Amino acid sequence: MTPPDSIIFILILAAIIGLPLVVGLGLVITRWQSLLIQIAPWTALPALAAVLWMPVGHTYPVPWLLLKALLGIDATGRLFLMFTSALWFLSGLYAQGYLASDSLRGRFFIYFQLSMSGNFGLILSQDVISFYVFFALMSFASYGLVVHTGDANALRAGRVYIYLVVIGELLIFTAFLLLAFSTNSLLLQDYRFIRPKDITVILLLVGFGIKAGALPVHIWLPLAHPAAPTPASAVLSGAMIKAGLLGWLRFLPLGVIAMPEWGTLCIVAGLAAAYYAVVAGIPQQNPKTVLAYSSISQMGLITVGVGLSLGWPKVAPMVLPAVSIYAIHHGFAKGVLFLGVGAASATRGHGAQRLLVLAGVMVAAFSLAGAPFSSGAVAKIMLKEPLGMLHMNWIGGLSILLLLAAIGTTFLMARFIFLVINKTALHGRLLPSMWLSWAVLILLSSIVVWFLPETHMPTSKALQVTYIWQALWPLAAGILISAVVWIGSIRKKWHCPIRIPEGDLISIAPAVKNIANKAASAGRLHVNLPGRPGRFLYPNADWRLIQKSVRTIESRLVNWQTAGLLFIILIGLIFLWSGIF
Amino acid sequence: MIDMDWTFDNWLPLLILLTSLGPGIVIFMLPEERIQWRTALNLGGSIAKLVLIGIMIWGVRHGHVYEIRFPLLQSIEFVLSADTMSVMMIALSGFLWFFTTLYAIAYLEKSPQSRSRFFGFFSLCVSSTVGIALSGNLVTFLMFYEMLTLSTYPLVVHRGTRKSMQAGRIYIIYTFVGGAFFLLGVAWLKSVFGSVEFTEGGILGNYIGTHAFQLRIIFFLMIAGLGVKAALVPFHGWLPRAMVAPAPVSALLHAVAVVKAGAFGIVRVVYDVYGIETCHALGLLLPLSLMASFTIIYGSVRALSQDELKKRLAFSTVSQVSYIALGAAIFGPIATIGGIVHIVHQGLMKITLFFCAGNFAETLEVHHISEMDGIGRRMPLTMAAFTIGALGMIGVPPVAGFISKWYLGMGALAAGKSWIIAVLIASSFLNAAYFLPIIHRGWFREPAGPWPAEKIFSRRETHLMLLVPPLVTALFALLAGLLADAPFSPLEWARLIAEREYRP
Repeated sequence: MTPPDSIIFILILAAIIGLPLVVGLGLVITRWQSLLIQIAPWTALPALAAVLWMPVGHTYPVPWLLLKALLGIDATGRLFLMFTSALWFLSGLYAQGYLASDSLRGRFFIYFQLSMSGNFGLILSQDVISFYVFFALMSFASYGLVVHTGDANALRAGRVYIYLVVIGELLIFTAFLLLAFSTNSLLLQDYRFIRPKDITVILLLVGFGIKAGALPVHIWLPLAHPAAPTPASAVLSGAMIKAGLLGWLRFLPLGVIAMPEWGTLCIVAGLAAAYYAVVAGIPQQNPKTVLAYSSISQMGLITVGVGLSLGWPKVAPMVLPAVSIYAIHHGFAKGVLFLGVGAASATRGHGAQRLLVLAGVMVAAFSLAGAPFSSGAVAKIMLKEPLGMLHMNWIGGLSILLLLAAIGTTFLMARFIFLVINKTALHGRLLPSMWLSWAVLILLSSIVVWFLPETHMPTSKALQVTYIWQALWPLAAGILISAVVWIGSIRKKWHCPIRIPEGDLISIAPAVKNIANKAASAGRLHVNLPGRPGRFLYPNADWRLIQKSVRTIESRLVNWQTAGLLFIILIGLIFLWSGIF
Repeated sequence: MIDMDWTFDNWLPLLILLTSLGPGIVIFMLPEERIQWRTALNLGGSIAKLVLIGIMIWGVRHGHVYEIRFPLLQSIEFVLSADTMSVMMIALSGFLWFFTTLYAIAYLEKSPQSRSRFFGFFSLCVSSTVGIALSGNLVTFLMFYEMLTLSTYPLVVHRGTRKSMQAGRIYIIYTFVGGAFFLLGVAWLKSVFGSVEFTEGGILGNYIGTHAFQLRIIFFLMIAGLGVKAALVPFHGWLPRAMVAPAPVSALLHAVAVVKAGAFGIVRVVYDVYGIETCHALGLLLPLSLMASFTIIYGSVRALSQDELKKRLAFSTVSQVSYIALGAAIFGPIATIGGIVHIVHQGLMKITLFFCAGNFAETLEVHHISEMDGIGRRMPLTMAAFTIGALGMIGVPPVAGFISKWYLGMGALAAGKSWIIAVLIASSFLNAAYFLPIIHRGWFREPAGPWPAEKIFSRRETHLMLLVPPLVTALFALLAGLLADAPFSPLEWARLIAEREYRP
């Protein structure tokens, strides 16, 4: 449907994507940098304006662009654009202050702007090609945010990140080919109604799962989030990983076609992530790493919602809005927490300011744990409510597991706050642009969810005793456990029995490599598998065996008699095979 | 035939040929120090060619027939004619020739070797490419194909070093042996079937029942001959060595002249001599697609281990050019579009990469990837162009390479050949593995120390005429993908070609 005044709306859509992009490209020119850095965050405003004033549900074809691009804001897109643009805007303002004394801030903002443009673009895309373009723009550009500091940790994080980006891109490329071929259409609206092949579903689940931090392809998150500068972590964790979720919402036939096996898989994987990330996150020493694990855990809960809609379409009308609300709640809260880490380290030693900052962090932490009257409580209730519509014998168990996950979250948040208080070194100064944008984010995080029409839960319901009780007891239990552990660690010198390095599973890679190397040297082969920490994949020194043998083949082939002979043999074989002779 | 009515439409193909052949011959006779004359001739010729090509594109679109023919020997005709496919090829070569000329003038400014010789053969080389594009039958094609071999040899050995002489020797052996195979195929075809005219839809469809065996043998003779220039494994050995040539030569060789002549020849043989349906019926497409797939993977694996930038790019060409052959080897119009459009896309992206490699070498004496740390800070615009080209090769949208891959992938699915998707994915992954580290080094590493030998240009990162060509070609590589649906885009033209090849 194209409304009559479409030209204006196409221009608005172009501004949403184009302004951040143009400013990002302009930043390449050194002379313009100081001016454009001032402008940069404000380029998120067209997106915010569109959220407030643009009609929802129309699509606008953009002539000439790509393979007939189709852009527009639908109901889901509007919700995503809302929290995404707010996060980019406020994190951008915060970054201006945070990086004020960083000589490479111009470069930072190039990648910041490009990622922003990609993130907005993929939300607006209504055809598969545009979606892929903007998804790639965001994924590749945010590499520059991950490796920004340039130290060994950042480079390692960047290497793991870019590997997974490339793999993810290839998986979803294949999935998109299959979808486009089987529907003979490039429009997202057509993908909802036909049953995708199983292989397509796997490709989509894993491909977008990489972005969404799903188990076991979550390994880049705990490396990248602490490595990136704080405002970049906020958008990575708050906004960009939600693009993986949006990919699922856009390309899986949620609410139309029942795929209970895949739905079950999502639920199991989501629950596993929700719990595993707590276990892996508690022993961490860096507050930002704890937050990264918390993101994996929260995305796990969201994945449960996706699984429910994928398996049992009848709950989708209830669950899908809940998933979006949960994404909004988590996006804002996680943004507050990440920026809070920066604010806390900037105010170390400033008594009153620091107390205020800690109070702000507490608000978001409680909200994430689902404390009564918080956005987290709303999101959790909305996610759990539709379970009553299903009558499988495991639903009761699922609902208890979802409740208990809140205990884990509380525990993780307590650990986070402990680390923020004790383990943050003084870093930078809390400039007005930083605390102002942070304060606005705290405000948004607390109130936005209540005003959305999608929050189909009257305020009175949230005030009912049963709901308050439901939200309160896991929180209390989590606090109790944290307190016991804390006192134990002081009085009885308790230690965490396990040490889990950042990125958990990735750390077994060197061990695997060692075993492989040992096995290879036992067989008198000299293999050096890639993946040494601190080195970007540079295959010259790696894969020596393969390379050596290929070189030998090459030197034989260059002899043209051999080449000719080979060709004749090849052709002969082909004819033999096709039964000519 | 001679007494036909000579109109502008007859003359146009010849004129386009002469805009480079004429200046080329004059340049040979110019004394070395007449730089202005030489430059004027070069640029004048290429601008005139661009204008004429513009007219031709418009004309072909509107149904004009541009054809000139006269008999050479009894029953052998010299034919130049413009169909949709040749127009695409000459548009590419005319466009890239203009920028390569600009680039070469600056690049060879202080070259000790004869520049008259260089630009003379350079013009001949482009004339051959145009001739190949405009050939209306196999015999004419063969003539220009051999002329291309002869005119590129002096360019490859231009520097006169031992290494380049050796590379030249290998080049000439490969291409002549290949040429001989091709000649054999053409002669056989001509003697048995008579006509060797390029015709949309092919001319040999009627002989499937009677001459299947001969047709198969001839096909592979011709593919072997063309495969040498198209660098199909195992005939690719000359290409990575030929990169000792000066950067503008490598750029032209890899993007439009030699390897494209081979690839274009394969496309011609498959579509306009045999006809895609005939090839399909004869079972020729599977072996061809296997060869192409193997080349795609093999070239990428080899590229991984090269530290010399131009050598890595050369192996990347081996891999990327076979996408064109792969597109021709999948039966169905969608894959045809993907293969044919890649002729243009690969040309734009690869010429950008070679221009950039030349800039790094010419400005900083940087030849190896291991020396490229932090080069983006010294030469941001060149590195930006390089990044666009490299991302395009990987298939990252919206650069043009993505469009090729999308169509090849859709074509493979339509033809029921899902294994080709695996080839595309593996190739993209390998491309990422050998291009992304370069991008990382250029932008995110600290420079290791002073550059090997730095030339300082007061206001720009390098000579203006070295800087503009890669920026323009990179921009076009980007626009070809970004505005793929616009009128006169390479994709739109490839669709037109595919439509005509599959017309009943």
